[in-house]
Amino acid sequence: MPERDEFYVGYLPQAPPRLAQRTRRVAALLVVAAVLIAGGVALGFARLPRATFEFGNEKTFTGTVEVAPYPALLVRRPGNAQGLPKFSRYHLVAFGKHGADEELREWDGQAVTLAGTLVHRDGQTMIEIVGGSVRAAEGERVATGAPEALGEHRLVGEIVDSKCFLGVMNPGNLKPHRACAARCISGGIPPVLCVRDASGAAVYLLLVDRSGGPVGRRVLDYVAEPVRLVGDVERIGDQLVLRFDPREIERL
Amino acid sequence: MSVGYQAVGWNRQKKLYDRTLALGVGLYLALFLAISAAVNPNATAETLVIRAFGTGALLLLHVVLAIGPLCRLDRRFLPLLYNRRHLGVTMFGLALVHGLFSLVQFHAFGDTHPLVSLFTANSRYDSLAWFPFQPLGFVALVILFLMAATSHDFWLANLGAPVWKALHMLVYVAYSLVVAHVVLGSLQAETCPLLTGLVGAGLVAIVALHLVAGWRERALDAEHAGDATDGFVDVCAVDDIEPERAKIVTLGGERVAVFRYDDKVSAVGNACRHQNGPLGEGRIIDGCITCPWHGYQYRPEDGCSPPPFTEKVPTYDVRVTRGRVLVRSEAHAPGTPVAPAQVHAMGSRDA
Ligand code: HEM
Ligand code: FES
Repeated sequence: MPERDEFYVGYLPQAPPRLAQRTRRVAALLVVAAVLIAGGVALGFARLPRATFEFGNEKTFTGTVEVAPYPALLVRRPGNAQGLPKFSRYHLVAFGKHGADEELREWDGQAVTLAGTLVHRDGQTMIEIVGGSVRAAEGERVATGAPEALGEHRLVGEIVDSKCFLGVMNPGNLKPHRACAARCISGGIPPVLCVRDASGAAVYLLLVDRSGGPVGRRVLDYVAEPVRLVGDVERIGDQLVLRFDPREIERL
Repeated sequence: MSVGYQAVGWNRQKKLYDRTLALGVGLYLALFLAISAAVNPNATAETLVIRAFGTGALLLLHVVLAIGPLCRLDRRFLPLLYNRRHLGVTMFGLALVHGLFSLVQFHAFGDTHPLVSLFTANSRYDSLAWFPFQPLGFVALVILFLMAATSHDFWLANLGAPVWKALHMLVYVAYSLVVAHVVLGSLQAETCPLLTGLVGAGLVAIVALHLVAGWRERALDAEHAGDATDGFVDVCAVDDIEPERAKIVTLGGERVAVFRYDDKVSAVGNACRHQNGPLGEGRIIDGCITCPWHGYQYRPEDGCSPPPFTEKVPTYDVRVTRGRVLVRSEAHAPGTPVAPAQVHAMGSRDA
């Protein structure tokens, strides 16, 4: 039968021979295209920087709880701190897209042990607390002391939710992550301004309002976008904080 | 064909089709995940799953959308069309995994119901560049769901052809939404020109295929301008029609398939009752007009599917005079018997 006379009927057991051969070729071509596109697209996505969520690896931590402006655990550095602050400050958050304020309110200023999972990136460390694991601990309490004022700055960067950005989701910033960042900050995850210095290294500033309280939902409309913030930078231990007025965020 | 709605038979062709589809999809996902994990070790596993299934679904959507015009341009693609339903349902499955993972990853375990968060977490409906792209994907997913859920012939029969067709034309809305979802979503963050290029090339290919196929068909729809005598229009010479095949002409605004078989000529409406397949591109098998798309059959003498099937297409009066075929431009009601025109006078066949 000449090729143009071949006629395909799907419910017959055999396709006409030439049509069958051609269809096999087209199918093979499609499969090869799928393979090439899989490789191309996988390679096309940007390489992501290191950010770690030690999922499944719970540890125990001991330190002093500080609830304001955002919950943190102050842990004394072992040995001689050699000019570094005498304690490390770990952000504390709860499961999912929730801050740990409620869970920790009653423990403010107290020495505790708690179980949790580490999240870390660029020297910033966070603990996702295992719900209900906080216990009173023996031992000295650490206090942050007065913040060190570093003067007024105008800073250009991106407001991110610290939990995802530090490693729970990678990527944890830019447009595709915007909705998630808003949901996280809305749920109490500390918002952080991520600023790149001239070398491209990231600097993180916890965002607080002019009276030093959490800014929470007041920044939701500006997450993930390039923004300029003007405010007073302070250092609390090893953590930078930006005191600013959330009504004055400027989109770029 | 559609008498009882038993499960569609699983014949050898369908098994081959499905096995090839599974192989292609499996290879795509496995390779995407393996390569991504190797070159992007810092990416979260959920991110890779979201990307693998999202891009896989979009790729398959391109295949689904390309098959229609490809078949119109070259009949030899028809074997891909026969089982297109399985492509569509598979594509929906991939998109569903992508959508559910995204919904959980980006919206669950927070202070708002995930489906509310999906629409409200990003509030920038006032901006194009920052426009919430996830709701676009969600609406597309709902459309793909409706299509997958109604893809069986059971629904075609129960919803009625016009409703079913309209529903399935929404695939173009879904495709547009997905393109916007990707352009306003991932492509706002990704900088590799290959990704933008692939999305753009896909869009151009789909639009171009439809334009070319549509343009070719326009020629078909030009009203046939042969001489008319008492309502009969001269449509072609008998020899213009290959044996057991048809020529498609447009009469009174309708496409008509004029078949030549067994030294006879008959004309029926061109649109298959199943999914509007072009009967005139089919052929006569076992004495019946056989649709090129899924093989529904009709008798040329009366436009009826042979029992036990019940589909009917319109029929037309035909004459053959001095080697020319004349068809009356008014259709008979579907299923009306019409005597075929004899090509050679009885008894003079071999003359
Ligand atoms: C409930 C519905 C949907 C949601 C919530 C959703 C969400 C998302 C999100 C959050 C991203 C960015 C992921 C990333 O960080 O890379 C994305 C990307 C993407 N989506 Fe969807 N999507 C939905 C439906 C769809 C549908 C129906 C399709 C296609 C058929 C699709 C195709 C894609 C593609 C191709 C990408 C780009 C690749 C990627 O970045 O993952 N999405 N979607
Ligand atoms: S058999 Fe499906 S359209 Fe004709």
